[in-house]
Amino acid sequence: MGAREDFTNDAMQYAPQLFATALRMTRNRADAEDLVQETFLKGWRAFDSYQQGTNLRAWLFRIMTNTFINKYNSQQRRPQETELDDVEELFLFRRMGAFDQSKMNQSAEDQMLELFTDEEVKNAIESLPETFRIPVLLSDVEGFSYKEIAEMLEVPIGTVMSRLHRGRKAMQKMLYEYAKERGLVDESLLDPQD
Amino acid sequence: MADCQETLNELESYLDSELSEGRANEIITHLKGCTDCQGAYEFHADLRTAIKTKATNEELPEGFLDRLRDCLGDDVLGND
Repeated sequence: MGAREDFTNDAMQYAPQLFATALRMTRNRADAEDLVQETFLKGWRAFDSYQQGTNLRAWLFRIMTNTFINKYNSQQRRPQETELDDVEELFLFRRMGAFDQSKMNQSAEDQMLELFTDEEVKNAIESLPETFRIPVLLSDVEGFSYKEIAEMLEVPIGTVMSRLHRGRKAMQKMLYEYAKERGLVDESLLDPQD
Repeated sequence: MADCQETLNELESYLDSELSEGRANEIITHLKGCTDCQGAYEFHADLRTAIKTKATNEELPEGFLDRLRDCLGDDVLGND
């Protein structure tokens, strides 16, 4: 059982990251905990097929992604939303001139951290249709490479890139809408040429 | 050498560390000489940091890790 004990100890360090991503996937704390438990159980049982020395973190995220897609997704009664409105390139960047400067007096990096609340960022991710949400989570939040994400989702790398691109733009638009709702934006400041 | 349009088109891949070393260096060279593109780069890098920081700022449910260990322990004992 030595290898299995190692699994528990090694895998446990990734539990908090897995939980955060599971929560963005399921949008529900109880389902997220179930998803992480199921991921660990599957990992534990499939441990013989895990190659020592390969990336345990990527392996766990792959199991979790597949479990989510196969189980939770199929439970959802909502129609599959695969379409996403096309958003122009550099959407948010081109609108930064409309943000009320008096409410943004920190340094540039802090500014971005202050500009949106945790809830807004979480909601923006969770509002994405699953097809886009999962690659965005795996890349922007978990930092996996295109190749790793392509393997996890069993789609070509080009598909990962296009879903990331469209998903990120849609997320930026969502963040902009949240900022507008909070009164941080004065659109009359935008250069009409933009 | 990369121009502004190419740099902006490839900014996302550059931020994802998915460009070849040669291409990444061309983008870096362009960014060093172009304030506009440098601004776009910094904006997206900062946005990426903010998203990652905020999306992972999550408290674990009370007793979460214990329950996780327990469920693996139960599996060993065949109480699945």
